[in-house]
Amino acid sequence: MSAVEQGALHAAAPAARPKTARRVPLVARALETLLVICLFLFMLGPLIWLAVRAFAAVWFFPRMLPNSWSLEWWRTVFDSPQFMHSVRLSFEFAPTVTIISAAICIPAAYAFSRYRFPGRRTLLISLFATNAFPKFGLYVSMAGFFYSLNLMGKFLGVVIVQLIGTIVFMTWIPTAAFSAVPRSLEDAARDVGAGPLRVFFRVTFPLAAPGILVAIILSFLAAFDEAQGTFLVGVPNYITMPTQMYTLVIDYPQQVAAVFSILLAIPSVVLMGFARKHVMGGRLAEGFQIR
Amino acid sequence: MVLPPVGVVAAFIGFPVVAAIAYTLGKTGGPNSMVASLAQHQHVAKHGVTLAAYREMLGDHQVLGDLWATVWVTVVAVLIVLAMSWTIALYLRLRGGKIAALLSGLSVVPLFIPVVIASYALVTFYSVDGFVRTVAYNLGYHSFPTVGYTLTAVVIGEVWVNVPFGVLMLSSGLNGVPDSLIEASRDAGASLSRTVRSVLFPLNVIPTVIVATFTAIYVLGSFTVPYLVGPSAPNLLGVSMSNYFSSFNQPQQSEVLAVIVFVLAAGIGAVYVWANVRASRRAGQVA
Repeated sequence: MSAVEQGALHAAAPAARPKTARRVPLVARALETLLVICLFLFMLGPLIWLAVRAFAAVWFFPRMLPNSWSLEWWRTVFDSPQFMHSVRLSFEFAPTVTIISAAICIPAAYAFSRYRFPGRRTLLISLFATNAFPKFGLYVSMAGFFYSLNLMGKFLGVVIVQLIGTIVFMTWIPTAAFSAVPRSLEDAARDVGAGPLRVFFRVTFPLAAPGILVAIILSFLAAFDEAQGTFLVGVPNYITMPTQMYTLVIDYPQQVAAVFSILLAIPSVVLMGFARKHVMGGRLAEGFQIR
Repeated sequence: MVLPPVGVVAAFIGFPVVAAIAYTLGKTGGPNSMVASLAQHQHVAKHGVTLAAYREMLGDHQVLGDLWATVWVTVVAVLIVLAMSWTIALYLRLRGGKIAALLSGLSVVPLFIPVVIASYALVTFYSVDGFVRTVAYNLGYHSFPTVGYTLTAVVIGEVWVNVPFGVLMLSSGLNGVPDSLIEASRDAGASLSRTVRSVLFPLNVIPTVIVATFTAIYVLGSFTVPYLVGPSAPNLLGVSMSNYFSSFNQPQQSEVLAVIVFVLAAGIGAVYVWANVRASRRAGQVA
């Protein structure tokens, strides 16, 4: 294609665009609406259906809404020391795990991004091994190991089990975030006399902060939601909220599980609400492309 | 600086995995002695290794049923996730506007919801007295099939959980394609589907591979979704692993299943690594 033709194409493009945008056929409109409705039902339908159940006293098939309403199940949950204890435990474990994970992974992420050392890519990928071996098989074999280290039923044992689920997020996403900070900016700061620490805290860190925030939130949620390993290692001393859910679903009225679900979802919704912009903006996507 | 996380992974994942593999081959000593002392019905290798545990499991009809169920659910879920994420991501890229924003908002909802809750919500939604059957009943379909506690429900659950990652990866990938390329192709007379096939798809092979491999690995190793949503048998291997360990007290058999899943996942992981390495090598040549 010649330069003239290319220029002509560019000139034609802005004129062509509004024309197609204006004439949206009726069929396309209908399809769009259908797509939105289907996706709404698929994604949100189950959650709404469950949330309504938390306020139901009696609900018989095939009524679209409960026969009668009640807040009794909320009282059941809030009055139960067992349930409230698991809420407290969840809020002890998840922050502890997140802080430890950040402390060990973020310096590593910085090194992965700034230094080219032999085996760098192999190590980054080997961290991903955490995801490839089925968690349950891992926990079974860890359990034996934990018995001999006397970690079964201990706070530290649960912390370790939850920690391994956070390492990929906490390393990969900050690595991409640090890599996205242009070196020229750091060099410029150094040229005007900033020391290495000052460069890191005044230039590198603030620019990488959104990515690190996404990693911290995803790690917090991974630890908060971890149920299987916590159940295997923590029982009977440490029953967190998600582990409680397994018993709730089987042994209690549906409404209790529904109330508990709403409570368990609150931290996730709030935290992801904060990070939404950065997660959607590609911070997460960046982290999964190894360079 | 990279030692702490690598060390944690080596100590608490690498080491148990190696011990687990040794255990499945009949090595009951060392780190496995604790588990082995409590286990029933073990295959012990007196000298070298034995494949007896693998022979037992792969000769078991129920296990084979679970293995096929796992492969089937994985393949179907990956295909649906790819189709849905591509549709939504393309819509976001090519149309934009209010409807696109609505679609992207809806498609990332699962990121906000713990998997345990999602699974429970899904099973109540598709159960005998769930929303789907309630609506069908009120519309006059009195014997509408129940999806809850079937493999179809497991597929629905896995798709629900994995769609956000797919949409995020692909829309980030499609955003990397400059407008001028898309317009040039349209102006040169290419139809929309031709533009997608010849311009957008070739430039987004890597994100597509990442979505497919991560979804597949997630589904293969998943437990919560099939456990809460799926049938009692055949179900995914994640659930049978738990049954062999907790209900039958046969950790060795449980680990055999874990190794089988690991081998499948490692094969898929190799595709991911290959795609990434190839991409960065190409990028290196251009730059």
